[in-house]
Amino acid sequence: MPDLNFSLSPVGEDKRKDHGIFTGATVRNVYVIGVGMTQFGKHLNRSLRALGFEACLNALRDAGVRPKEIEAGYCGNALAPSLQGETGVGQNVFWEVGINGIPIVNTENACASGSTALREGWMAVAGGFHDMAIVAGVEKTVMPKGTMLNVGGAEMETQLGDVFPGYFALIARKHMERYGTTREQLAKVSVKNHFNGTLNPYAQFQKPLTVEEVLNSMMIADPLTLYSCCPNSDGAAALILCTREKAKKVRPRAVRIAASVLTTGTYENQRDITGWEVEQRAARKAYEMASLGPGDLEVVEVHDAFTISEIIHYEGLGLCPPGEGGRLIGEGATDLNGRIPVNPSGGLLSKGHPVGASGVAQVVEIIWQLRGEAGKRQIRNARVGLAQIMGGNKEGDTRACTVHILIKD
Amino acid sequence: MDQSWEVVQEGLFYYPLDAGQVPALLANRCTHCGKTFFPKRNLCPHCFEEGVLEDICLSHRGIIYACTVVHIPSPVGIKAPYAYGYVEIPQNQIRIFALFTGADPFTFTPGQEVGLVVEPIRENQNGQEIIGYKFKPISSGH
Repeated sequence: MPDLNFSLSPVGEDKRKDHGIFTGATVRNVYVIGVGMTQFGKHLNRSLRALGFEACLNALRDAGVRPKEIEAGYCGNALAPSLQGETGVGQNVFWEVGINGIPIVNTENACASGSTALREGWMAVAGGFHDMAIVAGVEKTVMPKGTMLNVGGAEMETQLGDVFPGYFALIARKHMERYGTTREQLAKVSVKNHFNGTLNPYAQFQKPLTVEEVLNSMMIADPLTLYSCCPNSDGAAALILCTREKAKKVRPRAVRIAASVLTTGTYENQRDITGWEVEQRAARKAYEMASLGPGDLEVVEVHDAFTISEIIHYEGLGLCPPGEGGRLIGEGATDLNGRIPVNPSGGLLSKGHPVGASGVAQVVEIIWQLRGEAGKRQIRNARVGLAQIMGGNKEGDTRACTVHILIKD
Repeated sequence: MDQSWEVVQEGLFYYPLDAGQVPALLANRCTHCGKTFFPKRNLCPHCFEEGVLEDICLSHRGIIYACTVVHIPSPVGIKAPYAYGYVEIPQNQIRIFALFTGADPFTFTPGQEVGLVVEPIRENQNGQEIIGYKFKPISSGH
């Protein structure tokens, strides 16, 4: 494909068998052996720890692992300190399932908080510090009607009146202006993801939408309408990670983490806002780590906080050349039965977006797909999946972006 | 004495303005690599301590790079609909985030010439006016 530079590093088959080779350092392969999540949506009467408990217990049961076997815990959460007045969510949640005494780390990287926790857990196991770890993402952002989320208040842009949908509207309008992307193509992202959501019992919204319904819903920031934006949600998700040795007893269900990458924005002042360099860089590095390219992917979950985001992520991940994301959704290539299905879970738009939990839940979906356990939305024979999420606006750029590649060997 | 106003963030622009004083955004520029920063930085990220940052005022004329209209009131208290976007200041080779004013919010377009104004953008909970900066259309040839 033109304009793409996803170089593959030559890695010997023999070495890859037991060790991943990443940018010169030799690290251990890490497997996901258990996954769990709550339904995403409104859980007004359930606490953060109650949601986290359900997700972690499901993951432990799924792995067939007891709490005392876990050697470290990593928990992503973005907004509990400001919304619930709660800090140390990881210690609270993990103790609910009987995990104490071990190192526990809380991570905050806005929407990438949960996926950052996964990367921390991956590093700990890959680096030989722990043989088994738990990763969780937990969030409650559904507030009583009329309550405004107070996010980003320390930024000059927010104080001047910038709002999340407005920032993405600027990007959408630039993409439309430069590449001819249409409002209908933007709307189709929401239509596709809401359809997928109807097949996912964990999704917040279970109703299909038409292009007309998306276009005619309330205008939020031109061209983004209400159904072009993901909702506020409550929910939790969890994963159990371990070494190849530990994964042996559950081998048929284990999924290997072939790449785990975290990048930070460069805040380049006059950058091209129709793409995120922070994401292109993360994707390149992830493909290099996994020794594969975008053409090898069979299922993808991306951060569709707004419809335009998904279109730009197609381009950033190399699923299509820059500027052709609108055409890719338009021709149905990313539908469940398309060439490269994206957001089979329903994505943030339909499944919901409990900020710190979303990055972990994307990986839960990829693993269900790779194991063949995704029910009505199952993609046939999927073996290689990718999850991408990014978070936090800073100076018109993105603070953090993660890309994970998962392979069912 | 309580002030009836407050600036949105210290150090962004001169306020209040003396009679006849032209509004200006306060930036700084690295003497080593030439990069301009708004708001001002304490250190050039490219040159670290080899660079010296000198204070400058940005040109008050810019060109809209991207714009949108927000149809919901902002959490900080700006009434909808309101327009904003990014403005390029060609003379200083910098792009800045800004609210737009002085015309129907739906009429701003990329490529349009705009000029700086410093004026109230909203009120805080105590009824104090919050002073910020905005850009308004200027007709070419001015």
